[in-house]
Amino acid sequence: MKKKLLSGLLCAAMVGSLFVGCGSSSDSAPADDGAAADTSAPAADSGEAETTTGGGAAGTYALVPKSAGNPFNEKEADGFTAAIEAMGGTAVVQYPESATADAQITVIQSLISQGVDSICVAANDENALQAVLEEAMDAGIKVCSVDSSVNKDSRAVHCNQAGVDEIGLALIDAVYDISGGEGQFAILSATSQATNQNAWIDSMKSYMESDSKYADLELVEVAYGDDESQKSTDQTQALLQKYPDLKVICSPTTVGIAAAAKVLQDQGSSVKLTGLGLPSEMAAYIGDGDDYSCPYMFLWNPIDLGALGAYTSVALVNGDITGAAGDTFSCELGDYTVVDAADGGTEIILGAPFKFDPSNIDEWKEVY
Amino acid sequence: MENKSIWKKITSSREVSLLIVLVILCALITIKTPSFLEWANISEILKNNATTMIMALGMLLVLLIGGIDISIGSTLAFSGMTIGIMYKYNHLSSTLLGFLIASGIGIACGLVIGLIIAYGKVSPIICTLGTMYVYRGFAYLVANDEWAGADALGTFKDFALKDFLGINSAVWITIICYVVFFIVMKWTKFGRNIYAVGSNEEAAEISGINVRLVKTCVYTIMGGLSGLTGALMTCVYASAQPNMATGKEMDVIAACVIGGVSMTGGRGSVAGALIGALILSVISKALPLVGIDALAQNTVKGIIIIAVIILNVVTQRMMDKAALEKREM
Amino acid sequence: MAGKSGRTIANTIDQPWKKVVLSWEGVLVLLFIAINILCVCISPVYNVENLLRESPKYLAEMLLLFPMAYLLILGEIDISVGSIVCLAATMACMASNAGVPFIGVVLISILTGVVCGAFNGFVTVKFRELPTMIITLGTQIVFRGIAEIALGSGGSISLTDSSGFKMLNGKVGIFPYSFFLIIICAIVFTVIADRKNYGRKLYAIGSNAKTAYYSGIKVKQTIFIAFVVIGLFAGLSGLFLTSTAYGANTTTGKNFEMDAIAMAVFGGVSNMGGKGKLYGAFVSAFTIICLRIGLGQINVNSQVILIILGMLLICAVLLPNIAGMISAKKKTAK
Repeated sequence: MKKKLLSGLLCAAMVGSLFVGCGSSSDSAPADDGAAADTSAPAADSGEAETTTGGGAAGTYALVPKSAGNPFNEKEADGFTAAIEAMGGTAVVQYPESATADAQITVIQSLISQGVDSICVAANDENALQAVLEEAMDAGIKVCSVDSSVNKDSRAVHCNQAGVDEIGLALIDAVYDISGGEGQFAILSATSQATNQNAWIDSMKSYMESDSKYADLELVEVAYGDDESQKSTDQTQALLQKYPDLKVICSPTTVGIAAAAKVLQDQGSSVKLTGLGLPSEMAAYIGDGDDYSCPYMFLWNPIDLGALGAYTSVALVNGDITGAAGDTFSCELGDYTVVDAADGGTEIILGAPFKFDPSNIDEWKEVY
Repeated sequence: MENKSIWKKITSSREVSLLIVLVILCALITIKTPSFLEWANISEILKNNATTMIMALGMLLVLLIGGIDISIGSTLAFSGMTIGIMYKYNHLSSTLLGFLIASGIGIACGLVIGLIIAYGKVSPIICTLGTMYVYRGFAYLVANDEWAGADALGTFKDFALKDFLGINSAVWITIICYVVFFIVMKWTKFGRNIYAVGSNEEAAEISGINVRLVKTCVYTIMGGLSGLTGALMTCVYASAQPNMATGKEMDVIAACVIGGVSMTGGRGSVAGALIGALILSVISKALPLVGIDALAQNTVKGIIIIAVIILNVVTQRMMDKAALEKREM
Repeated sequence: MAGKSGRTIANTIDQPWKKVVLSWEGVLVLLFIAINILCVCISPVYNVENLLRESPKYLAEMLLLFPMAYLLILGEIDISVGSIVCLAATMACMASNAGVPFIGVVLISILTGVVCGAFNGFVTVKFRELPTMIITLGTQIVFRGIAEIALGSGGSISLTDSSGFKMLNGKVGIFPYSFFLIIICAIVFTVIADRKNYGRKLYAIGSNAKTAYYSGIKVKQTIFIAFVVIGLFAGLSGLFLTSTAYGANTTTGKNFEMDAIAMAVFGGVSNMGGKGKLYGAFVSAFTIICLRIGLGQINVNSQVILIILGMLLICAVLLPNIAGMISAKKKTAK
């Protein structure tokens, strides 16, 4: 008796609440301002893309960064939000709960429900978002990727911080320069499946094979620090111990380079470091001479990268570009052209990687 | 005759058998990489794993009373991140104060857990599963998407660089913790109370031990140690990130269990926790050194953990059997 | 008395009707309704269609809920399921890309899960002194490690032919297939737990393994079966997860174990063994899913959502305990 009553109650409750849900949805607009959740706000009534005067935007534009709690992603989001709001649109930045593709799928599903106009995503896995992004595109949402790309079938266009080969060349040249043109060097990467890092490392390797200039450089190992301080430290120390003749470590990841820099500087090691890092994290390690472990490193401006993602989203929604190669648009950052990417899709390239050295680090460490 | 008594000694003490595992492990690694046993390397191992080793002490107490705490990684991140941000925005400059504040936050976190478990009668794994999410969330909120890097930490990070009598200061903290805990667990009433509660809660209650108070204290100590290691980790790596030490709790639990601490309570020692933590530290240090493929390192680590704990059980069974035979004789 | 859930709001109520409402399951139903009303109020796009559209990942997680509840009732735990999901999904993708027909892919995924589960079960029954938490902690690292090795340096695999998986991801109307699977599982698992011999063994072993052993229950066999079952469902979960992502990577299924345990415990299943009702777990799972989706739709910071869930979990256990203590005190005062 009791059990029947309970199960009856249960069913009634579920059905009832679902219908309540249905009922309320029928009278609300299909698209709404998610961030404020204020149904009465007239601005929320965005619906279709309104092609207004050059660069104007009135809709809701979403950014899904790689993970929360990382200043790089935060600055990217700041750039994105500022650019969207300057154009009059509403920016939604929703971080996944952890740095996994699974968590990003959940977030994107939620954004589809909210009926945003565009989704700009920095992917944790190149392919895993395809199903959900196709669903988004079917729902009329414009999709682009920024920083770390999704595969060509799941995006209109990718906003690349810099060409893969440009970064690869900059890094291998830095290794060449710092090592004096010969000797052993090692790479300390993020996780083994980090899309960007793998692409850059592959590019470095292909330069080493194709150009005889680098013939005297020897890549002894690619180690993975999993973007954890402790593991990166362990890996760096292991590299030093295993290869006494090591001259340079190249770490194309922000956590890895900071951990490696600390190890090298604390030990007063003769091994030097370069790679990709955040100026604010690396300021204490960049300098000339033996007291500093890192002569110079590279990165791009995450604020500009976020802004480029914003302008691209707006251009896609307004119909200024479709994502086909050859499309052009102009924005505050300058004029950009959509070009073919290596993976068969298309991309927009922000610019060359920026070099941080002792002369400019103090200025930039305040910025990001 | 002589031989037999040595063999007996080995099988009669779990710590000794574990020590042998550790020595064999080190010997194998040294054959492959001769520089492994150099002092510089050992010092590095101790310094990098000070966090695991110190937290293993707290976890030892928690496991001894039959509890578990899986929120320690989150507590560590919360306290470490908080002082990191305080240094970054110049609310704090003293190194000692940094350690005190971090420990204080940890104690507060641990006290909440202790009260919920001891007085609210919530099972430890559920309570700490909840606080794991809550404290980690706090760490993210405090961080507000920033890190505290080497530059922001100022002189605080120099602490982990200082040597005292040739031993790194982070290692000194570990040594002090171990000495204190060894004395407390061996010779004080509080230590014996913990064993009593873990062996038989009802009996302990009846014999006049305030079980709830002991439980609350244990979780508070665990929290305090997590807070302390939060400061230590920030210091050693000169960096505080909200996602730091994610999954650390599993390492610490594994260290304790490898060291022969029973998860059902009442059995385990400070020496066991130390050896367990050392075995785990040596493994994580050695895996990249001996040239195991980067992709296979996790698998090898997992297999070694399973192998060691199974070895533990086998030696325990042998010990029991030996004891039984002795009685029959 | 409220079934076997052991969690009641007050022990002194006499009317049977109040008993039902005040049992933990009754409270959960009320909470479920309350949370749905809340979500409708705060999110303008919260409706059944969006709810079901956003649910597949959570449904894949829910597949693990019932077998996990069995293990918890037994007094065991399995924290390696997330890794089994990862390994099964990886194997399924590799098989599919190697040209194995879809039915074979399904079998390989399930078989992978069963083998992993059987390994956990084997070690558990062979070394009863070891807590399953530590065994599965080890296998958690190993299973995902094997997937890492299999996936190689890319760490990710995508399907070259996703037609079979797309079929699996299909819908009847707005209801995804996995939704029906969950309903069927809920019924089957509940019936077994409440009516069948195996279910009684579960509760008996969970309450007191020694007594159960001496009363002739095959303790080891029962535990082994429970591990194989959870492995099997982890394999299924891997398949459904693959169908939402057209691929697998080294982070597939991460944290599934904690989510599944939280759902079960929130539903009144005790991890101390011997207590809990599966329909409680069922309702609690939907309560958590609805709350997550609702809060997600108004873009609440994902870390704040986790804080709310964590507090909810603690309160769910703490409040009834406090209420029970107060009423017990009153009783003694009288």
